[in-house]
Parts: sequence; structure tokens; C-alpha cells
Amino acid sequence: MSGPTVPTEAATQGRTAGSIGSLLDELGAALAPVRRTLSYLEIDTRLLGMVVALAIIWTGFDIISNGIFLSPRNLWNLSVQSASIAIMASGMVLIIVSRGIDLSVGSMLGFLGYTMAMIQAVWLPQALGLGFEQPYTWIVTILLGIALGTIIGGLQGFVVAYAGVPSFIVTLGGLLVWRGLIFRYAQGQTIAPLDQNFQMLGGGTVGTRVGALGEWASWILGAVICVGIVVTLITSRRRRRRYGFPVRPLWAEALLGLVGSGAVLGVVWVANSYPLPVNVANQYAQEHGIAVPPGGLFIPTGLAFPVVVMLLVTLVITFIASRRRFGRYVYAIGGNPDAAALAGINVRRTVMLTFALMGALAAISAAVQTARLNAAVTNLGVQNELDVISAAVIGGTSFAGGIGTIPGAILGAVVMQSLRSGMVLLLVDSPTQDIVVGVVLVAAVGLDTVFRRRSR
Amino acid sequence: MAKRIAVLAAALMLIVSACGGTSTGGTAAGCTVGVSWNNYQEERWAKWDEPAIKAAIAAGGGKYVSNDAKSSAETQASNVDNLISQGAKVVIVLAQDGTAIKPSVAKAIQNGAAVISYDRLIEDPKALYITFDNVLVGKLEAQAVFKAKATGNYVVIKGNKADANADFLRGGMDQVIGDAVKSGAIKIVGETYTDNWDPSKAQTEMEQFLTANQNKVDAVLSENDGMAGGVVAALTAQGLAGKVPVSGQDGDKAALNRVALGTQTVDVWKDARALGKAAGDAAMQLCKNSDVSKVTGTAPFKTPGGNTVSSILLQPDPITKDNLKDVLSAGWITKADLCQGVKAGTVSDCN
Repeated sequence: MSGPTVPTEAATQGRTAGSIGSLLDELGAALAPVRRTLSYLEIDTRLLGMVVALAIIWTGFDIISNGIFLSPRNLWNLSVQSASIAIMASGMVLIIVSRGIDLSVGSMLGFLGYTMAMIQAVWLPQALGLGFEQPYTWIVTILLGIALGTIIGGLQGFVVAYAGVPSFIVTLGGLLVWRGLIFRYAQGQTIAPLDQNFQMLGGGTVGTRVGALGEWASWILGAVICVGIVVTLITSRRRRRRYGFPVRPLWAEALLGLVGSGAVLGVVWVANSYPLPVNVANQYAQEHGIAVPPGGLFIPTGLAFPVVVMLLVTLVITFIASRRRFGRYVYAIGGNPDAAALAGINVRRTVMLTFALMGALAAISAAVQTARLNAAVTNLGVQNELDVISAAVIGGTSFAGGIGTIPGAILGAVVMQSLRSGMVLLLVDSPTQDIVVGVVLVAAVGLDTVFRRRSR
Repeated sequence: MAKRIAVLAAALMLIVSACGGTSTGGTAAGCTVGVSWNNYQEERWAKWDEPAIKAAIAAGGGKYVSNDAKSSAETQASNVDNLISQGAKVVIVLAQDGTAIKPSVAKAIQNGAAVISYDRLIEDPKALYITFDNVLVGKLEAQAVFKAKATGNYVVIKGNKADANADFLRGGMDQVIGDAVKSGAIKIVGETYTDNWDPSKAQTEMEQFLTANQNKVDAVLSENDGMAGGVVAALTAQGLAGKVPVSGQDGDKAALNRVALGTQTVDVWKDARALGKAAGDAAMQLCKNSDVSKVTGTAPFKTPGGNTVSSILLQPDPITKDNLKDVLSAGWITKADLCQGVKAGTVSDCN
């Protein structure tokens, strides 16, 4: 019986594989004009693929949740929930691009968050006797936190770069050490409440103060970014022309400027469509002697501070990665470390700096997370390293080194958080959530690898 | 090296007990009680449990010896043997791993020692199990919230899915709200496990539940204080903190402060010192008679593993705005920590 069936199966398999291949070829041919247009725009097709995937996820959740998912309120929440992972993901991109890994970010975040909570709730007010709620508390706390983050990140980087210990091992050690140190000096205690100015960083609410820009400041920030986009396009066009590089057609430049500005203003519009919660608005009205209209008071919330922080961080890191020498060194090292060293790049110093930068970003994320929770807890940031690495990898960063973009990683973080909070919205239990996120992670990277291989 | 120390210690014990003229059997005077800690570095054991155990043993005229397994199940197994060779007639074990420690416990019992499983269950029918009643903790959490809000939309924030306590607590809650859920008076609009009992995750969960229900959430059953902190942060963002009852347990300072501020309804407090005292007292009784079922206050307890063990289940104390003086007078928290940010005149125990 088995005799005749075997060749049939083989033939079927062969045909199936062949037809998938030809299907992909046909699809590719049909999309050729689109691809040509994209090549004019010089947009990464992978990035575009992620935007499409995100759009599908969002629409899907929105339909199943009867329009709750794409409500301004949920999108506002989503932006705040994604911010802390996105901030760290932009640093992780540089580390993975230069062929390293940092497994200690979650523990560093916990350690730094705890230290910052101690600074503002114990050391400054009690040990130094300066008292609670001083106007300078928040900034002192953050500066010390970032300094400490840079030092401990740099320390790990030093061991990786100068002692030659693999980053996987060094940061695995860090994961244990920083978490252990928290237990050592925290003794399992929760530090709360935190400074009220500091809490604003988390996008939270204290009385009627909300950790967001408000309506007009949000529009102004949006406008500034739009101007920035246009100026960047113009100057880069001029520079290219000066060096005799090919430039995009004028329509492509205009389209890029329009789409970019449109996206920014869209985000601001959504943030401003989310009004202050009824109870907060009513209290605000009471304090300011405003009469509440019958339909309720509509006070736009605007961009949340964690999102503003995230935007600033990603702008700075993107600038460093693409326009500064340090950034180009990182990509060169990732592409070929030996060639980079022979070309005279100080590989060790550059690698150490990527880890120091990661430490600083972990401190900023720690500030956002503790401020948001209004407490520092000993298990703050547990397993965040997995979320951060997943965000970077879903965003197209390659473990082979040399490939990865910061906007991709930010999108990756948003995709991950969309899945998580969307599933909570739909009352999916947490084991199932883990399974879905795990499958999506492997599928995203798998698809990416397959397409990249075909496009060669 | 460790063995030599153990032998030395045993020899020393012999000399000491010989000099003390200890009589064996019948009296507790001079009886040695050994405690095997799983991880003495955690603050709680050194700060609250150990002094209480020591005091109870000293009051009974016994001697206290201890060692620390530093979170290693293997080390703990040899530590229990060491305590026996040091002459301990009663061994109190805070198990690192309730299954891995079973052979050592069985050996100790064969050698005529009595064993107390402290705080964590060891599945040995001859060991005495002393702990706080976790099902009761869940019940007390739900009772306080149910008293504040007996109908409407409930959210249940549970702990780690791999931790049996998360289900014990949920079971206790169901004893209170189960009927109301069946009759439809209470509708559970959101219920989820929370990885690692992570407060940040609990905050995100609460935000999503509030969004999904347009803020129509009337009460929240959070299984512990850390997650209650995340829940209250999410409620604060919607201006709902203090308007929606929230539960918790552990006696965290931050949570007791929330109870005083009115943003958390109840904090079920398990006084570690009461647990330590109960174990010390039981140990002194076991010095006289090693039959664990004869210790006062024991009751049979059906374990998840199908064994029936003798147990002493302590009653936790639900702390609400009305009995904050309990934690103050017990010295668990200072008035400054408890009352930070509380408006004068709103809470009688803060005046």
C-alpha cells in the first residue's frame, strides 16, 4: 500500500511549495509599481509592512471590542503604556546592531527606579531633612538617576568591551546583581507615595493636575515637529545636491512631508480628543469657579508627558544614530567588527558607550514607570528585558548585527503593547496572552527572514 | 569543614546539656529547638518572625539554634540534619521547597524529633502545619469590599497564575460574593491573573477594565497590596480613587497609608510575630510530647496533596479605617508613615 502513496505525497508537496513560490512571484509582479513608488520615497518596505500589520491588529481589536479599542481614551492609554518600553527599545537597537545584547535592562530599571524613589521619598526629605514636595526634588532625582544609570550601564559595557566577556554573560550577571541589590537594601518594602511633580512624568493625576501637555501646548509641539520634518527634508535635499547624490523627485519630497506632518498632527488630535475624566474635570471646574455645562465639561488632555519624553528620546537617539559619528560607528561595527577596527574605529569605546547609553535610558524609563505607579516596588521591571528585546526585534533589528532602526523599534513596542492591552480589553486570560505574544514574536521575525531571503 | 563544625557543635551541645543537667522527657526546660530558615536575608524573618520565636522559646526555658539555607533546597536538607545532630528535639522548617525537604523531615521524625512546617506546607502527615489561613484572607478581603458595595460591577485582580495562593485567595472571595454573582446582583466585568504579582501590570489591567466599561466599575478585589497600589493609581487617573472600594493584604506601609487616606478599603494584615509566637509555643509543648496532634489548638487540615495534617491556622486581622490603631499599637508602622498626607481630623487614629 505504501508503495504508490509515497511518490504521490512527494509530488503534492512539491506542487504546493512550487505554487506558493509562484504565488509570491505573481504577487511581487503585481506589486512592482508600488515598489517602484516606494523606492522613490526611499521608505523602508519593512517599516511599511509593520505599519500595515499594526493597522490590521488595531482594526481587528476595534471591531471585536465594538469600537472601544480605537477610542481616543484607549489610544491615549496605549501611548502611555508603550512609552517606557519604547524608550528602552531605542537604546536596545544600538546594542543589538553592534552585535551585543542587554539582558539586564529590567533589573537595572528596578534598581534605578528604587533608588530614585529613595532619593525623593527618604534621602532628600528625611535623611537630609529638606522636607517633602520641594520644587527641585523631581529634577535632582532624575539627574542623579540618569547619572547612576550611565555609570552602571557603562560598567557593564566596560566589562564587555575591555575584558572581552560576552555581553550575554555580563548582562545576565547584571540581571541577577541589580535585582539582588534591590532586595538587599529594599528589604521587600514598597516606597510610596512619591513627589507630586515627579508623578507628572508618569502621566498620572494628582488632584486636578494631569501629567499631560494640555490642548495648546500639544498643538504647538506638534507644529514644531512638523516644521522640523520640513526643514530636515529641505536641508537633506540641499546636502545631497551639494555632494552630487541623487535626490528624490519633488513630488516624493512633498508627499513625505505631508504624510509625516499629517501623522504628527493626527496623534496630537487624538490626544486632544481625550477629555479629562468627568470626576477630574468637575473638580477642576469647582476649583476654578467654572460652571459645568449639562453635557459635562470637555477639557482636552493632550499628549501625556511619558509620550513627550519618549518622542524627545527617540528624536535624539535617531539623530545620534544617523547623523553622528558614534551612530555610524555602531552600524559599522555591527556590519563587520574586524573591518571597523581596521578602519580605525575605536570599537571598544563605542561598544562601552552603547551600554552606558542603555543605562541612561533605563533610568528615564524607570522614572516614567515609578512615577506612573506612584510607587517603587521590588519587582519593578521584572521581565521588561523580554519586552524590550522583542520590541527591537519585531521592529526589524537583526541579531546578525548592522541592521535595525529606532522608528522600527518604537513601532515594535506599540505592536506588543497593542496586543497586550487589546487582549486585556477583550478579557483574554494571561496564559493565552503569553501564547499569542510568543507566536506573534516568532511569526513576525520568521516572515521577515523569509521575505528578506527572497528579495536577495 | 561544615561537617567538622557540625560535629564540634554537637559535641558542644552535649557538654552544655550535660552541664545544665537536662532531664529528657516530660519537661521543656533545656529543650533545644532548631529553626531552618530558607532565606534569612529577607527582612521579614530577621525582623519579625525570629524574635517572636526566640521569645516564646526563652519563656518556656528552651534553647534556640538556627541555620540558613540561602534559598537552596539541597542546603536546607543538610541543615535539617545538622539541627538534629545539634540536639534539637523540635525542628521548625520554613521550607524552600515543600517537596524536596520531605526525606529530611521524615528522617528527623524517625529520629524522634518533632517537625513544624512554618508558614509553608510540607506534605508530611506527621509534621505540624502552622500558617495564616489564606482562604480566610481572601474571604476577609471580599467581606470588607462587599460591605462597602454589595451590588454592581466587580473587577478581580488575581496574583501569579503559578502560585497556589492566588487560587486559595480567590476561593475565599467566592465564599463571600459567590451567591451575589449567581443571583446577578454582582457582575464580574473583569478578572485576570497578574504575572509575578506585578503592580505595573495590575495598573495596565485596571486601566483596560475601566476603559472597556466606561468607568462603570463599582468595586475591585485585588489579592495583595502591591497590585492594589497599581489599581489605585489607575483609579486616581480617572478621579475615582476613594470612590471605588479596593482590597489588599500584606500590611505594606504604603497600603496602610492608603487605608488612612481612604483610597484602599481594607488591608488584611498577617502579624508575623503572632505566627512566630504560635510556632515557639507549639515547639515548647512538643518538647514534652512529640505527638503533634496533642498540641493545643490544632485541627486536621486536608492538604492539596491529599494528606491530612495537624494544623494551626492563625486568623489574619483586616485593617480598615476604623482599626488603624491595631497596627500602630503593635509597632508595625510609625504614625508618621501611616498618616503621611492625611488631612487632619479625617481619621481618628491619626490625630
